[in-house]
Amino acid sequence: MVWHDVAPAEDFEPDVPKVIEVGEERIAVYHLDDGFYAISDICTHQYAILSDGFCEHGKVECPLHQACFDIRTGRALDEPAEIALATYPTRIEGGVVQVSLG
Amino acid sequence: MRTVIVGAGQAGRRTAEALRGLDPEREILLLGAEEEPPYDRPPLSKEILLGEARPKGLMQREMNAYAAERIDLRLGVRVVAIDPSGRCATTADGTRIEYDQLVLATGAQARRLKLPGADDPRVMVLRNLDDARVLHAMLRPGLRLAVAGAGLIGLEVAAAAAQLGCAVTVLEMGPRAMVRSMPALIAERVAGWHRAAGMVLHFGCALTAITPQNTGLLLATGQGEIEADLLLVAIGAVADDALARQAGIAVADGILVDAHGRTGTPNIFAAGEVASIRQPDGRHVRFESWQVAQQQPLAVANAICGIDKPYAELPWHWTDQHGHNVQVFGAHEPGFDWIERDDGAGRFAALGLDAEGRVRGAVLIDNGRDATPVRRIIAGGQRIDRERLSDVSVGLRLLC
Ligand SMILES: Cc1cc2nc3c(=O)[nH]c(=O)nc-3n(C[C@H](O)[C@H](O)[C@H](O)COP(=O)(O)OP(=O)(O)OC[C@H]3O[C@@H](n4cnc5c(N)ncnc54)[C@H](O)[C@@H]3O)c2cc1C
Ligand code: FES
Repeated sequence: MVWHDVAPAEDFEPDVPKVIEVGEERIAVYHLDDGFYAISDICTHQYAILSDGFCEHGKVECPLHQACFDIRTGRALDEPAEIALATYPTRIEGGVVQVSLG
Repeated sequence: MRTVIVGAGQAGRRTAEALRGLDPEREILLLGAEEEPPYDRPPLSKEILLGEARPKGLMQREMNAYAAERIDLRLGVRVVAIDPSGRCATTADGTRIEYDQLVLATGAQARRLKLPGADDPRVMVLRNLDDARVLHAMLRPGLRLAVAGAGLIGLEVAAAAAQLGCAVTVLEMGPRAMVRSMPALIAERVAGWHRAAGMVLHFGCALTAITPQNTGLLLATGQGEIEADLLLVAIGAVADDALARQAGIAVADGILVDAHGRTGTPNIFAAGEVASIRQPDGRHVRFESWQVAQQQPLAVANAICGIDKPYAELPWHWTDQHGHNVQVFGAHEPGFDWIERDDGAGRFAALGLDAEGRVRGAVLIDNGRDATPVRRIIAGGQRIDRERLSDVSVGLRLLC
């Protein structure tokens, strides 16, 4: 498994994701009460960057048509999005949050 | 128990799916005049014109999803009459279909120009997927496109055409763009994007005659003559309420319904853009927006199943033009005091205050992150200090 550095854990603010690009993938990493979660940053409905959306209580809302996604599972919670977001494992190494594309 | 839904657009699909979710047993028929399975219309004036044949988000379901949900989807079937006392609908081929409940989800049609020459094939409207495909095939660099009507659809087409290298002229009878859908300060910003893209916008300019010629269309306007290769007429939509009208159901540019989608006639409901929905103040309003076609059918399905869940969403619509996303929430009335918030990083919000200082409407440009905060602020209805609302360093999420 290859791990990519995102940012030092202490730099994360609640409800404000950090975004990294790995190859073609754009991944957003969120700090929630129970840990760090990484999801694809592109909405599955049309094309929008989810880290530009409103985030609260472990959910992120698409800035274009307001589909909601569960950050922990990637699940699409309501239309217009139907398809879940890809989720990625995270870990902390030497105080730095890392994500893997598996 | 059989529910028949007339019109297999977005609202028809949403009604059918919501009904199935509430009741696994009932028979659900979804009858659509078009040959296409249900689709969402917003991409027609955006992605399709720019050349995406099947943009993501156009069709929410594959054909086989309807069978899987036991929704009896029949395409190419037009209902020509309904008989409320006999509880049946008649299709164009004469088939009579009995129902226990009938949902009219027939949407709207593009309003046409009533001028000689308007039947020339180079005069088009945009409502259906077919229209969008034909229009896309015609847009090419150098094409002289005239657009009658500076509403949302007219301007979206104009923006897409300009992006494809067409020479675009917009003719608007009214004093400014998007009178119905946006406050003036936003319409001015949007008009600025169009002008910057090299388009010509004429306001207070009525189209008075169309003369088809070999080399194009000669358009006479209050401000002189214009030559165009193609004219797109985008002067609004007319509710497709003829079935209801002929059956004696109350209509007034739209089928009059309550917050549950009930018409005045027992067992007949209306969903989506064809419905003119009674507001808390007693007025009826018909909304031409994706949101209404998406959410109001849920109230209809609930009402059919005897569940009291009225439609009470804050009005919301959006438009995408020249790479910008504009979202409008709540009301916009001429007397509002608008507070503008520009974060300097390209995200913009305008909040409309009524005479009592309450935020009643909002417009966001490239700023979907503030959608939920402004919804909550408007729904909350409290007075918020004007200074605080104007202070961009205070995020709107802290004020809701
Ligand atoms: C080009 C375009 C772009 C848009 N862009 C946006 C946008 O960006 N944002 C936004 O908020 N809104 C937008 N809208 C508005 C929104 O898409 C519509 O309000 C919405 O499609 C209405 O859905 P509906 O199901 O009520 O009606 P429709 O989608 O019109 O569906 C009605 C269906 O009923 C069928 N029908 C009619 N009569 C009969 C009959 N007698 N028998 C059988 N079938 C019948 C019709 O053929 C049609 O397929 C746009 C609309 C258009 C046309
Ligand atoms: S692009 Fe995200 S909901 Fe439409």
